[in-house]
This record gives sequence, structure tokens and C-alpha cells, in this order.
Amino acid sequence: MFKIIVAIGIGGALGTLLRYGINLSTLATGLPLGTVIENLSGSLLLGALTGFFALRTPKEWVKAGLGVGLCGGYTTFSTIASDTFLLADTSSTSAVALYITITLFGGVLLAFAGFLLGERIAKSSKQPQRGQHL
Amino acid sequence: MNITLLMLGGAAGSILRYLLGKAVMSAVPNPPFPTAMLVVNILGALGLGLFIGFNYSSVPFDIYSDTLYLTIGLGFFGAFTTFSTFSVEAFQLLEKRRLGACFAYITLSFAGSLLLFAVGFFLVS
Repeated sequence: MFKIIVAIGIGGALGTLLRYGINLSTLATGLPLGTVIENLSGSLLLGALTGFFALRTPKEWVKAGLGVGLCGGYTTFSTIASDTFLLADTSSTSAVALYITITLFGGVLLAFAGFLLGERIAKSSKQPQRGQHL
Repeated sequence: MNITLLMLGGAAGSILRYLLGKAVMSAVPNPPFPTAMLVVNILGALGLGLFIGFNYSSVPFDIYSDTLYLTIGLGFFGAFTTFSTFSVEAFQLLEKRRLGACFAYITLSFAGSLLLFAVGFFLVS
């Protein structure tokens, strides 16, 4: 349990740092583009990890550190709410609709694409089987 | 210093998300749709709304030198809530052909977090 908590803490700190970096580098656009990039790429990554780990059983702390920690800390939901209000204030209704649509459909689609990718990587990479003589 | 606090906020938010998620899962063992992250995301949106409403006049955009915002807003609440788990859970419901549950999960997550962010913000601003 302690190992899992530490792994989640480290993963979450790194994910947050990465999110901050992307936010900062997209600030010049004047749009909440950073959040979109983070949420979509994070969905792809967690999808891939889920697909990969469906076929390979990792240590619990590895899975938690990468999934709950890194991907969890890298992506965010509360910022979607604040971004929506920011956009409603500074842009148009269609900008809000576009932001939500891209985030929502993109997220689910990329999670699916990631899952297929992760499964494929797990299948194609060699893994020594227990009891198997190589 | 700012970066250290940002990362500490992110670490604390992630760990708390994990613990609260586990608590919700043991309280609601067989939910009709993924309840743990729904609760976390809605609570986090409320928390961010309260935090921003209390400290700022409007939703801040260009304040990446503000230590308080970096630590609590971007760090803690940013990492406490999560989108990647939401996407994967929504995709898994679709995969299982549980369209109603998927629709309910997505709608409640989105509408719920927007609504509670607004409630938090206007309650204290």
C-alpha cells in the first residue's frame, strides 16, 4: 500500500509538471489549448496502458504510478469546467461548444485507439513465459 | 520554489483522488456506471470553483507566476480531478454496449462538474 501511494505521488507530481509545461507553452494562443492537448494525449496514453496491461500483468505499484499517478495528474477535469467559463466570458458560444465536443469525442476516441495500440504492442513484444523453455 | 509547490499540490491531489476513489468503490460496490471518478471530478470542480471564486474576480488565465494558483488550482485540483480515466471508462462502457450507462456517465460528469464549478464560484465570489 505504501509503495502504491508513493508511486502515485511521484507519477502525479510529474504529470502535473508536464501539464504545467504544456499550458505555459500554449499560453500565447490565448485559448485553453493546453488542456485539450493534455486531456487528449493523456486519454491515448491511459488507453494504451490499459490495453497493454490487459495482456501483461504488471506490479500493482507500476500500474498505479503510471495510470492513477502520471496519466491522472497529467489530465484534468476541473479545468474543463473553469475553461468553459473562461471561454464563455472571452469567446463565443460556438467556441465553448467546439471545446467540449473536441474534448469529449476526442477523449473517448483516443482512449479506444490507445487501447488497440497497447494490445498490439503487448502481443508483438516478446515476453518470457513461465515454464516455457526458450 | 513555485515548481516544487506545484508538484507537491499535484502529488497530494493524485493521492487523495486514489484514496477517495477507493472509498467510493467500497461504499458503492456495484454501481450502474463508474461512480468513483464521477464523485471525484464533480467534487474537484466544486472545490476549484470555490477556490477561484474566493481568491479571484474571474477565471484566471495568464497567471502562471501566482504561487497560490499554481499550487492549489493547477496543482492540487488539476491533479485531483482526471480526464484520462473518464475517457477510458466511457470507452469501456461503449465496448460493453452499455450505451445508457455511458451516456449517463458522460452527461453527469460534464453537466455535474460545470454546475458545481458555477455553484462554488458564485457562492463565494
